[in-house]
Amino acid sequence: MSPSPDLPLGPEERDMLAGEYVLGLIEGADLAAFERRLEVDAELAGAVARWRSHFAAIDATAPAIPPSSELWRRIEAELAAVTPLAARPAAATATPVRPGAATGSRLSDWWNSLLVWRGAALAGAVATILLAVGLLGALDRARRQPVMVAVLLTETNIAAAVVNTFGDGRVELLPLQAIAVPEGKALEIWTLWDRAVGPRSVGLIERARSTPLRLDQLPLGANQLFEITLEPATGSPTGRPTGPIIAKGTTAQAL
Amino acid sequence: MATSATLPRQATEIDAALRQCASGDKIALKRIYEAESARMLGVAQRLLKRRALAEEAVQDAFVLIWRHAARFDPERGSGLTWIYAILRNRALSILRDEKRTETSDTPVAEETASEEDDPETVMSKLSDAKALRACLEQLPEQRRSLVLLAFVQGLTHGELAERVKLPLGTVKSWIRRSLLALKECLG
Repeated sequence: MSPSPDLPLGPEERDMLAGEYVLGLIEGADLAAFERRLEVDAELAGAVARWRSHFAAIDATAPAIPPSSELWRRIEAELAAVTPLAARPAAATATPVRPGAATGSRLSDWWNSLLVWRGAALAGAVATILLAVGLLGALDRARRQPVMVAVLLTETNIAAAVVNTFGDGRVELLPLQAIAVPEGKALEIWTLWDRAVGPRSVGLIERARSTPLRLDQLPLGANQLFEITLEPATGSPTGRPTGPIIAKGTTAQAL
Repeated sequence: MATSATLPRQATEIDAALRQCASGDKIALKRIYEAESARMLGVAQRLLKRRALAEEAVQDAFVLIWRHAARFDPERGSGLTWIYAILRNRALSILRDEKRTETSDTPVAEETASEEDDPETVMSKLSDAKALRACLEQLPEQRRSLVLLAFVQGLTHGELAERVKLPLGTVKSWIRRSLLALKECLG
């Protein structure tokens, strides 16, 4: 289905692809290509937003299921390691890729408004939503070659997980082994770059699964230690590893 | 946007809360959580079937909402639609991921959906006030079901084909024709 991102889509093709995307029917490599296109194609972003807004009525029919009382605590534990991008003084330098992308779509709005009868206002209006949504895809799919890799080994030297770091600042953990997590416990991921500072929590997962790690402003370099420890479900109560080390390893430059 | 038309108070409250999240106010995030987490869990549960996975999707969604709140621009669309888009993307990627690396005995896709989630029940719950309902009603029942099964339960083209016992190509073209009809109807 994926036409070259350089070719303009006809209005009907654009709406159909956008509708399929919102229905969740675009998968795999097509999905990655679609989301890349979404970041630069304001008309496509507009089409996606229109479908989302129409289909929102269907989400409103979902039954309300009260979450377990643990859920908010787990979110809070994960947030402890995260600050919103805007609240940080270094936000401008922390996201070098995004501002460029946003400028790109504003430019293309303007361009379209000269050529197309349809006002570009709506398309521009939703570009922001879609930039964020496209970014979520980026969290899950390794679109680029990792810059650095750390293989985390168990005590018996079995590779339990890999940490990949990417040029745009993303860092992800991919488990290679099933890890037994007892009831009421979770896996916490830590990084240590300076013994004087001590380890910092960068993620909390209730079972082995691939997950983005939140390094935010923390330094990231070669020979940096990553480790997984077993902690209470809401994360380490002390902010430092308290449980047994499941696996650990240090980063090395990918060739 | 359609959502803000029915829920004006709640929608603007969410927009305001997102602005506060962007400046680091965790209480604002908690307010969104209190207002929306139960419905979000319902949406995630329809997609993921398993409660633990659904909670995981909601957890991830809130961390992402917190982290990217500054990217939400209230002048550019409803905050409510924005947070559900984040949730759905996260839930769908967990769903596809689980299917690839299935570890439990019952693949998620084969777990029985609740009757509450079947297309005609969803139709009956859709607000009469919504253009979407009238437009869906104009589609033949089986085509309407395909659209709803994809959106509500996250079925892929292949799973839809299996469900309705029709060739993949037929299902793909029916979905496209349904989308085209919906688009014309919705204007």
